[in-house]
Amino acid sequence: MTSMEKRLQKELQALTKDPPAGVIVNTESVSQNMSEWIVDLYGAPGSLYDGEKFQLSFKFSPRYPFDSPQVMFIGPNIPVHPHVYSNGHICLSILTDDWSPALSVTSVCLSIVSMLSSCQEKKRPPDNAIYVKTCSKNPKKTRWFYHDDTV
Amino acid sequence: MAAEGDKFVYDPERNYDDATLAQIRVMENEIASQNNIVSERLSMQNLKDEYADADDVFKLKIKDLESRYHYMRRTRGDGNCFYRAFGFACLEMFLADSKNLPRFKDVAQKSRDELVSLGFPQFTIEDFHESFMDVIEKIEKQCSVTELSDIFNNQGLSDYIVVYLRLLVSGYLQKEAEFFVNFIEGERTVKEFCNQEVEPMGKESDHIHIIALTSTLGIPVRVEYMDRVDSSKCTQHNFPEDSQPSIVLLYRPGHYDILYSR
Repeated sequence: MTSMEKRLQKELQALTKDPPAGVIVNTESVSQNMSEWIVDLYGAPGSLYDGEKFQLSFKFSPRYPFDSPQVMFIGPNIPVHPHVYSNGHICLSILTDDWSPALSVTSVCLSIVSMLSSCQEKKRPPDNAIYVKTCSKNPKKTRWFYHDDTV
Repeated sequence: MAAEGDKFVYDPERNYDDATLAQIRVMENEIASQNNIVSERLSMQNLKDEYADADDVFKLKIKDLESRYHYMRRTRGDGNCFYRAFGFACLEMFLADSKNLPRFKDVAQKSRDELVSLGFPQFTIEDFHESFMDVIEKIEKQCSVTELSDIFNNQGLSDYIVVYLRLLVSGYLQKEAEFFVNFIEGERTVKEFCNQEVEPMGKESDHIHIIALTSTLGIPVRVEYMDRVDSSKCTQHNFPEDSQPSIVLLYRPGHYDILYSR
C-alpha cells in the first residue's frame, strides 16, 4: 500500500466510524477506487440549505496529503452560493493556497458545511457566467483570488 | 491589429490559468531536477563560484563568511528550506553530540498531545508525529550522516518532517497568541496567520517562524544574513538573542542554507 492509500484508509475509517453531522461518505464509491470518493452532504438545520442534499466529489493524487484533493460539487443539486459556481467548482482557500497536509477529508467537509451555513443570501458568484465558460474542468487549475471571508 | 503583433492583448474570453499553472509546474520541476533536497557538504568555494560575477558587496561578505565557516550545505528552494535546513542541522548536531538528545526527544514526544489539545485533527497529527519520532529514534541509534541525508532527500520522508515542524511552529504561535498577535501583518488573527503562512507546504519563513521553532524545541540557531546592505560583513542574529547556538544558517533573501563553523 502506498503512503497515500494508507492515509486515505485511515481517513475512511475515521469518517465512517465517527462522521460529523450532515456528512456521509459513500463507501460504495470508495470500495471501487480509493483515489476517488463521493461524499453526501446535508444542509445544516436552520441554514438556508436546510433539508437539501448535495454530493461532493473528492479526487486524490498520488502526492496526497502533500497535494490538496480536487474537490467539487457534482450531481443534480449544486448549492446556489456566492462561492459555488454552477459547474460545481468551489472558491475556498483551503482547497488550494491554504491547503495543509494536516487537514483531511473531514476538515474539508466541515469547512464546506460551515461555508454553506453562514450564507445570508442564495446567489451565484458575480462572475459565474464567464467563469463556467472559460475554466478548466479541474478546479485546482484555476488561480483563485480569495477576497471575501464573510459569506 | 498587425501593428500589435508582438504585444500581449488580454482576451477576456480565454482562460490563462492553465497556462500559468503549467509554467509554474515547469519551474518547480526544473528546481527539483537540478538540486538535491539537501546537498552534500560543500566547500565555501562553491558559494564563491555562484557570485563570481557579483559586485563587491557580496564578494566582501563571502570573504567574511569564509573566514569563519568551513563548509555549507545547500537546500532546495521550494519554500520549505528553513524547515529542512533547521531540521537537518539540528539532527546532525545530535549525531555529533547526543548530550541534549533525551531532552529534545522528550519535548518532541510531548508535542503531540499539545497539538491535539489545540484542536488539530488527532489522526493526521499522529501520522506526522510518528514519522518524526521514527527519525529521532534513528538518531538515537547513531545512524550515519549519510542515512540522515538519505532521509532528507527522500521526498516523502522529508516532507513528513517539514509538516511536523510546521505544525510545531503553528502550535507555539497559537499557544503564545497574545504575544505574537502584535507581530502579524494585516488584520489577521494568529490562527488565520498559521492557517495561511505556516501550515501549508511551501510557505516561506520569517523571523516569527524562527522564533517559534527555536523556542518550542529549545534549540537556538544563528542566522548569517547575506544581503545587499552596504557592509563588509554579514549581519548575525541569534535566536534567542542571548544564546550560543551551535546551528548556523545562511540567509539570502528568500532562502536558507546550512553553514558549518571552522
